[in-house]
Amino acid sequence: MAGIKDLGVGIGWRSEIDLTVERLPGVDFVEVVAENLHIGHLPESVTLLLERGVPVLPHAVSLSLGSADQVDLHRVEHLGAVAEAVGAPMVSDHVCFVRAGGLDSGHLMPVPRTRDALDVLVANVKLAQRNLPVPLALENVAALLEWPDGELSEGQFLAELVERTDCWLLVDVANLYANARNIGTDPERFLDEIPLERLAYVHVAGGEQNGDIYHDTHAHAVLPEVLEVLDELCSRVAPPGVLLERDDNYPSDTEIAGELAAIRAVVNKHRG
Amino acid sequence: MDENSLSSARERLAARQTELLNALLANGPAPAGFDEQRLGVERLALLSKRRGIVRMLGPAVADELGDRFRPLFDAYAAEHPRRAGSRAREDAASFAEWCRVSGELSEKRKPRWKFWQSN
Amino acid sequence: MAAPTTARGTRLPPEQIGYLVAGPGRAAETALARLLDADLVRVSRDGLVSAVHQTELGVSTAVETFILVNLRRAVRFDAVVRNAAKSAEMRTLHQQLRARRLTRDPRPRLAAWWVFLAFGVLLSLLAFLEPWTLFGAVAFLGVAYWTFGAKPLTRAGRAALKDVTASDRVLTVALEGFRGRIGNQSVGELFGLPQSVVKMLPRKKRKARNGGAASAAGCGSGCGSSSCGSSSSCSSGSSSCSGGGSSCGGGGGGGD
Repeated sequence: MAGIKDLGVGIGWRSEIDLTVERLPGVDFVEVVAENLHIGHLPESVTLLLERGVPVLPHAVSLSLGSADQVDLHRVEHLGAVAEAVGAPMVSDHVCFVRAGGLDSGHLMPVPRTRDALDVLVANVKLAQRNLPVPLALENVAALLEWPDGELSEGQFLAELVERTDCWLLVDVANLYANARNIGTDPERFLDEIPLERLAYVHVAGGEQNGDIYHDTHAHAVLPEVLEVLDELCSRVAPPGVLLERDDNYPSDTEIAGELAAIRAVVNKHRG
Repeated sequence: MDENSLSSARERLAARQTELLNALLANGPAPAGFDEQRLGVERLALLSKRRGIVRMLGPAVADELGDRFRPLFDAYAAEHPRRAGSRAREDAASFAEWCRVSGELSEKRKPRWKFWQSN
Repeated sequence: MAAPTTARGTRLPPEQIGYLVAGPGRAAETALARLLDADLVRVSRDGLVSAVHQTELGVSTAVETFILVNLRRAVRFDAVVRNAAKSAEMRTLHQQLRARRLTRDPRPRLAAWWVFLAFGVLLSLLAFLEPWTLFGAVAFLGVAYWTFGAKPLTRAGRAALKDVTASDRVLTVALEGFRGRIGNQSVGELFGLPQSVVKMLPRKKRKARNGGAASAAGCGSGCGSSSCGSSSSCSSGSSSCSGGGSSCGGGGGGGD
């Protein structure tokens, strides 16, 4: 595979802003949260975007591929069915665990960066890949805490994951920024270590600094510092696509259009 | 890699992940090696996210409780960590029920059955 | 009769025009149209209205403020209109219009109003012969006047509407309602609203039998006869957390 087809600049489709997504200029592709869609009755707005030829990429949040438990194949099957329903070229989830020991954290928790965790993750990813109709991309998450005794850096961990599973990477630059602020990860080192040729696309999102913690809320404006990380990434590779995620406190159409334009400006700066 | 070493890796990882979620969600002891303060930050973040979802799914309950919503929800959440496989909507319903049982919320208004509506 | 106080040039605000054209329901629609126009609220395809997130309110009327402060959560399009139409802010608007003699309490016309008139005329003719019947004549003519009924719009009110044209999309809503049509386009389309959303509003009422343009005492369009009041807000079935749980963002701070 020569790489992912050029996706352009996109936005996460959410039902609350469906009409906004439809009428905003410069939305080249969208992402839908797979768990929120029901096969058989896609939202009218999603159907309309598909008719216009806008690529729709399913993004999952509940596979919990980093869990010690076996993968829940029903969830994988649903993700695959959504991919087929929207004719997606690729699906994604996160390098994280959501559930463990019968509890559900309700969030994307970081996995320990140990050999054990990597082995389990690789096995889970391979099983998911075998049950998916399209390639799988995996995203780095934002962590508020660091597991002790990590054996690999986050970049090394993902690089080895790609090497062993042949998955794609979905790089969230806001999460990179969050980890830099909260647990001291170096975004440049991360970008040096991951195989950029396996980059599927990029996520950008807003957040909020609260005391000494940066919260990746997806409910605030995108910080200029996050765009700087995007800029750093674009200086190394032309990303096939960049997508803005906004999940709450939706601002005006004008403001959203402004954020998309700012993202596009960073991407174009490096295209010459 | 062989199946045996994978399943022992799963076991070791399961123990660590379970210990962490127990500490974050169910008032379990802090796992060794973690920064206590960060555990606290993560605990609050998870609680706040869960509370926000329950508030969104059950706005009437949140409105009725007013200022008591937050402390009550936090007490409920510590007693009832979300079980894997449960749905957010079930969480909201179970919180409302918990409030009723503890007398914090008026009894469910009788669902008015209307003959012109099915079920 | 006093001349209309609303001289030309001092154009009424759209919300008041909406009220004069078709009552509180229309005024509520107009207020909502103004908020949409100003990018202060948005509507989704499933008909939920939500406030656009920003720091200042940016509202200009009491009814607009009422709508916006009640949108802390998404509310169905029709419920927004209905609740605003029934709000205290809307009653205040009505009182203002009455105080300026643009509108008044309408009285229905009694079918037999002319019987009182006929008696009144008869008695006044009789008064030439028997002057005491004049009292009866005055009484009957008075009752005739009362039972003839009154339109909600006063002459001043009609004058205030005379030169109003659908010169922008907010005024178009005031004049036609979201469900109305202008040319071969639905008014809702001016706001990019799908028909499924616009049709949540009750159909425009038939013209009242007594010919009044405004059903000022009642609810006008958008007010419906539904008794479910505000209970229909936010069905949230499609919220982004209906599924297996976590969504990617929202690791949210201690804030609530």
